[in-house]
Amino acid sequence: MNLLDIRNLSIELIGQKHDILAVDRVSLTMKEGEVRGLVGESGSGKSLLAQAIIGVLDESRWRVHADRFHWRGQDLLRLPIEERKAIISKDVAMIFQEPIACLDPTTTIGEQLEEAVPESMLYGFFWQKRQQRKKAVIKLLHRVGIKQHTMCINSYPHQLTEALCQRVMIAIALARRPILLIADEPTAAMESTNQGQIFRLLASLNQLKNMSILLISHDLENVTHWTHTITVMYSGQFVEAGTTKQIFTKPYHPYTQALLDSSPKANMHLPAKARLMTLPGSIPILQHLPIGCRLGPRCPRAQKQCVNAPKVKNYHGHQVSCHFSLKDLY
Amino acid sequence: MLLFFVRRLSLFLFTMLLLTWFAFSLAHLFPGDPLINLTGQVNANPEQLIALGQQYHTEDHMIFQYFSYLEHIISGDLGLSMASQLPIASELANLLPATIELSIVALAIAMITGVPIGFVAAIYHKRKVDDVILTFSMIGYSIPIFWLGLLAVLIFSIELGWLPSAGQLSLIYEIDHVTGFLIIDILLSDNTYKWQAFADATAHIILPACVVALAPATIFIRLARTTMLEILETSYIKAAKAKGLSFRQIIYRHAVRNAMIQVVRHVGLQFASLMTLAMVTEVIFSWPGIGRWLIDSIYQRDYTAIQNGLLVLSIFIFIVHIITDLTYAGLNPLARERSYGS
Repeated sequence: MNLLDIRNLSIELIGQKHDILAVDRVSLTMKEGEVRGLVGESGSGKSLLAQAIIGVLDESRWRVHADRFHWRGQDLLRLPIEERKAIISKDVAMIFQEPIACLDPTTTIGEQLEEAVPESMLYGFFWQKRQQRKKAVIKLLHRVGIKQHTMCINSYPHQLTEALCQRVMIAIALARRPILLIADEPTAAMESTNQGQIFRLLASLNQLKNMSILLISHDLENVTHWTHTITVMYSGQFVEAGTTKQIFTKPYHPYTQALLDSSPKANMHLPAKARLMTLPGSIPILQHLPIGCRLGPRCPRAQKQCVNAPKVKNYHGHQVSCHFSLKDLY
Repeated sequence: MLLFFVRRLSLFLFTMLLLTWFAFSLAHLFPGDPLINLTGQVNANPEQLIALGQQYHTEDHMIFQYFSYLEHIISGDLGLSMASQLPIASELANLLPATIELSIVALAIAMITGVPIGFVAAIYHKRKVDDVILTFSMIGYSIPIFWLGLLAVLIFSIELGWLPSAGQLSLIYEIDHVTGFLIIDILLSDNTYKWQAFADATAHIILPACVVALAPATIFIRLARTTMLEILETSYIKAAKAKGLSFRQIIYRHAVRNAMIQVVRHVGLQFASLMTLAMVTEVIFSWPGIGRWLIDSIYQRDYTAIQNGLLVLSIFIFIVHIITDLTYAGLNPLARERSYGS
């Protein structure tokens, strides 16, 4: 059974004159215990998608539709909004980029962790509960690999490093014992040693607790070591999804191909001052989105047909949304 | 925190030096003899003037004059009032507490009403409640204070007869002068009519304090509203939502504290304008405070009184500034840390 099954989710930015379709019918499925990478350039709507799943988008500014939104076989679209939020916030947790900005600057780390410990895990009278909360916090900090817990509990967010703050964010996320953790670029603006630490922590959580992780990143190369499956997005549209191996060795979509080609490799033979491989142009702005396949104007394989949005084709679990996929080349 | 306090204290000392220099230069800038302007001795005979001149080093360089003036101020000698020939220090000691009482009560009213209303407006942003609150705060801000004061007297004292229109306390009560702050004095006294006097003093302060509080309250409404809106947009509020906290918990635990920090920061600034409003209000409600006294001194060209009244008022405002700064640092861990370059 799929853990999360989303079909044709669209997110509209409510504008003054007309609405803008920021995310256009994206589908996403996740199995239990899976680490899925969600990859795309900045502005491709991957963070929006994550925020729509968790339900923190401002309702006065964004409108979200979906054809299907199943969570562990339960149709969330049929439930009233309060129940939906309760289910999601019980089972799904999220960590964000820029961890320091995501912690309240005037409250100590300890207090912020304490309030994340859900009431249902405590028992007894309120003074007993307070003790339990304190213990739970220390346990959580140990679980994310912070050994000096007293120092950490008593400090304010600005007194800790970026990587420590991200660990604290992960600890906060773990407090509810989530089944799915959404990590929105957890290592952006971090040094590579710290990046490795955070990724290893996430990987161990996945292996030891069987926690599913949706790992959002703009860097395809970086994510491949840690994920089982990958979904690629471009400018708010679904591009391709498959196992990491499929995506990495046999990409079907020209965009994925271009992403892979654009990352330099150690054994590449490039003449001096040669250009690296890139797609021409840049990602379109939201006010001037191309019709049909949004990659159209930049795509090397684009033809007249591409003004109509392609249907998603499924080849043994390898999904691709392109009229002229590269499948025939392999 | 201690370091922060010491830094503020040193800033206070230097500002005091500048303020006294300014007050001292006023004596030279006002028309007439600087010595008479400084001391207020208008009826002194030539021998007394020579003796005074020696005290104030009038023959020496300006710097020595200034230091002798400082010496007099520090020893508590602010000169005599030109109009009444009474020592200014004792007059100020009688009048300043009444003004402090009025302005602090007004500030409390302005904050207690203004800040929560602003928060409510921010929480109901882009809805009817927000529009109504904004409209009323705009109207409240634009009403001239003397007109509002007269209107309040007309309605609440004359038409309805709920509240007294003038003074600080009804004449039937006799309260010993201990601290100068009337309400504290009443509470300290052991008269049989203590609580009646307290009720009477409270009734007297309500109307002027509300009139003074109106304009600052509207400023606090808008300040609290904009800061709350900013805070609600920040990522830590979003993260708190993702944490599964309810809206109420987010507002009470995270948003209010962070918004209050920003509001407290502006209280010191607003206090200066609140003092100006309090002065005008004192005239309307015949409140025995420093504002009325200062305005009278200006009419009477009592230069000594103007100069020293301004000095004492600015010191008071500066002390309030320091107190709000310390409160800000107490609330905000970020401000405590930054010990260099700020």
